[in-house]
Amino acid sequence: MFESLFHALPVALSTESVISMLIGTLAGILIGALPGLNPVMAIALMLPLTYGLDPLIALGLVAGIYNGSMYGGAIPAILLKIPGTPSAIATTFDGYPMTQNGQGGLALKTACWSSAIGGVFSALALMTLAPLLAKVTLAFGPAEYFWVATFGLISIAVLVGKDVSKGMLCALLGVLIGLVGVDSLTGEERYTFGSLYLTGGFELLIVLIGLYAIPPIIEMAENKSSSHFNAESFKVNASVTGVSLVRQHWKTWTRSSLIGISVGILPGAGGNLAGLLSYNEAKRRSPEPDSFGTGNPVGIAAAESGNSADNASSMIPSLTLGIPGNLIAALVLGALMIHGLQPGPQLFTRAPDVVFGFMWQMLLTSLVLLLLGGMVATRLFAQVLRLPAALLVPTTLVLMAIGVYTVNGRVTDLYVMLAFGLLGYVLNRLDYPLAPVVLGILLGPMAEQNLRLSMLISQNDWTILFTRPISQGIILLLLFVLFSKLWKGGWSRLIAYLKIKNQ
Amino acid sequence: MNFRDLISGITFLTCGVIATLVGKDFYADSAYVPMGVGVLMCLFAIPVIWRGAISVIRYETRTGLTSQPMVIDPARFGITLICCVIYYIALPVVGFYTSSTLFICILAFLLGERRPTIIIFIALSFIALLYGLFALVLKRSLPVEFFLAS
Repeated sequence: MFESLFHALPVALSTESVISMLIGTLAGILIGALPGLNPVMAIALMLPLTYGLDPLIALGLVAGIYNGSMYGGAIPAILLKIPGTPSAIATTFDGYPMTQNGQGGLALKTACWSSAIGGVFSALALMTLAPLLAKVTLAFGPAEYFWVATFGLISIAVLVGKDVSKGMLCALLGVLIGLVGVDSLTGEERYTFGSLYLTGGFELLIVLIGLYAIPPIIEMAENKSSSHFNAESFKVNASVTGVSLVRQHWKTWTRSSLIGISVGILPGAGGNLAGLLSYNEAKRRSPEPDSFGTGNPVGIAAAESGNSADNASSMIPSLTLGIPGNLIAALVLGALMIHGLQPGPQLFTRAPDVVFGFMWQMLLTSLVLLLLGGMVATRLFAQVLRLPAALLVPTTLVLMAIGVYTVNGRVTDLYVMLAFGLLGYVLNRLDYPLAPVVLGILLGPMAEQNLRLSMLISQNDWTILFTRPISQGIILLLLFVLFSKLWKGGWSRLIAYLKIKNQ
Repeated sequence: MNFRDLISGITFLTCGVIATLVGKDFYADSAYVPMGVGVLMCLFAIPVIWRGAISVIRYETRTGLTSQPMVIDPARFGITLICCVIYYIALPVVGFYTSSTLFICILAFLLGERRPTIIIFIALSFIALLYGLFALVLKRSLPVEFFLAS
């Protein structure tokens, strides 16, 4: 296998392949940076154009767009608190506070390096662990997926924010929003109240832009200061080099990349879950968990390396088993089929240059990010975003409007976005965390669907949820997270009590 | 904890009750999760209401513990929202590019930008960029301009 892998390297480094990777990465950064555009849409639009091209040139474009967009999503997340892609949700938590603290440049540089490192880890996992890890995922059934979703939901609700009740209420609100629409299993309309618009449920991107992007824009509008950003915000201290970032974040990058790779291998779980779980884990392990959410670069490092580590690893089940892990993986399978290649175990023997070349392209485009990401993001996008607040507010609102409108071509979506924006604004003011709402919308339907599938399979025997070994492992992990939160809370209260007593 | 927690807790409790009551009428399997979510929402709202009520009883709101105001600058908040709503109403009628250009110019002026050349330059270059990307490159269909509609 490794012989084929090394034989494919010169193919991946051919001039045409390198040019396609560069164009793809640049396009990916731009697509990720514009809310409303996503890599799925871009790759889908590009696929028909690749009919006459060599498979590796087409796959080079796909790899570039995929990796580039994951970093591109971080740019508005850091500078405007608008997640450019759903995967960049966790990046907003510390990215935007860093910009507000005058550290926007450092935040972008950290995000760029973290995305690149996450992508490299993921590509290495794809190259080495693909066949082995694919076998493990076959053991995941609906019960395991139910627990994965529940774990993600509860752990974030408990760990983000200071008040567990408020975190849980927000998560439940998110689940409730996610329930709106036609039930996929019975076809029943739930919480639609006879509205045709609500029958299809809420579009995730519209809810995301509303909840995350509108509140900071309104706050920016309320602020009378002439400029939102200052020139100093984008200057990075000369002492902050790639080496210093590696020294500072290598542990976070390793841990988050492993989380991202594990999530990527699971079909159905996406980069957004990887980013949030990685962020959560970084916060849980930090000696200063309270600094998260106030502008801690470790939060960005965790979120970005986590969501980028999901990229290549999500191709593992696609390439080895022919089961696409997410929409992009499905499109890659489509691209292979367009070029006459049948995904599955035989792909490795029938077209080793293509499959291993693609693995190299995933690795190389992650490295290209360091070059293009630094230049494009910090030097171009950041300069554009240096507009006065009075101009930045309307231009950003127009950008949001075009982003939301192009999703379905409906003006109603704009009102829905505004309504969610006001909800986010009010929740922010009342000290309710927004992250669990989004997690609820994302993971609620996944948890429900898998719970009901488990019940159907077991003929309503609830023990199926607790008897399988992988489920038991996830339950133990969940209990550990809950008890560690209780322990930390109890410990800090005890110390506070002792301090008061001593005084 | 303050008066706001009491109100928000009661709102979540109401949401939970409504979710449960509406959810119980769903067909068998479809009802379990909605009802469960409603019940859990009620359960988690209780501690928030309790702590809010205790704070109100202890007069903590009068001792300066109230957090920042709900709306920092009601005038600018209102202007932004009203402009957005008018923009969304005008979008399908006037067309995307015209309404967006007007929206940028008017809102920027209302928010305090007093340099007309800068406003017009930024608005036009931004709209040109969007036109190039969305209309020429990506070929996305946007509301047609009123002067082009047949």
